Amino acid sequence: MEESGIATVVIGSGIFHDRLAAMKLPRTVITHFPMGRPLGAPGDFETQREVILSALDLLENTNEGGIIRKIPARYYHRKYHRGN
Amino acid sequence: MTDEQKTESLEDFKNSFSYGPRSDLNFKFLKDFSTEDAGRFFQKLLWKLGDSLDDGDFDWIVEYIVEAQARGYAGSGRFVYEDSPFMPLKKPVSQLRLALISSSGHFVEGDDPKPFGVENMSQEEAENRITDFLRAEPQLSEIPIETPEDKLRVRHGGYDVRGVRVDPNVNFPVTRLRELQADGKVGEFFPIAYSFVGACSQIRLQKHTAPRWVSMFQTNKIDAVLLVPV
Repeated sequence: MEESGIATVVIGSGIFHDRLAAMKLPRTVITHFPMGRPLGAPGDFETQREVILSALDLLENTNEGGIIRKIPARYYHRKYHRGN
Repeated sequence: MTDEQKTESLEDFKNSFSYGPRSDLNFKFLKDFSTEDAGRFFQKLLWKLGDSLDDGDFDWIVEYIVEAQARGYAGSGRFVYEDSPFMPLKKPVSQLRLALISSSGHFVEGDDPKPFGVENMSQEEAENRITDFLRAEPQLSEIPIETPEDKLRVRHGGYDVRGVRVDPNVNFPVTRLRELQADGKVGEFFPIAYSFVGACSQIRLQKHTAPRWVSMFQTNKIDAVLLVPV
């Protein structure tokens, strides 16, 4: 895609860190979240937004490929599900 | 039945979570654990649950699962590259046209991609046919970003879809991206988002399918793509 002039950024779960790193992708944001839920827990809108903003920042501010940024946010759905 | 047939080994037990009689896609990685590691996984899980009875702290469970999944999927896999092309962004994110593509397996109600010609394939059937999916070329579903979340459907034989059924944004963040566009953080969120079942033939995806998708993005003058592999 990058060869065709389209910039890309990947958001992936850290459980696939080795595989994602091996692909030498242009820009990758890695979260410490379970399989199938790379942007955060269901209903955790704040974390989902934070993860996307980090990906957009990486998109805008990298000048070379192969960058992997690990996001320290915790996967924490319990407080969001309480009282629902 | 012989005694041997009636006895399930720990090997059989741990493997049964991976598309076996106890199929559970959150824990299918146990198949790739040695029996010793699988035994330790269960022993420690139960021991820590015992601690939780006394201290009321269950927060460790997420970390415990993520760490175990990470061990299960450790290693580089099949696709190792020395380098890859890089396209610097030509304008700020607040001015670009951004598209979303996820391997989540979403589609819009009434626009089922009907894998292998099957009408209304269930999640269970998709899991049962995982080897067929892994040989097939992926089908791209076009999803208008204004689609109400309750009209989104998801089916994917490779991961546990319960979370994404509660909130599609956990791997198909259309609502979050629409909000970011409304806030001026993204110039234009392209009005069609894309999803496909990532459990597909990776060779066909790479050689045949992806180049077609790239041409389509070029035709639509998309500047950048957010990719979410699941």
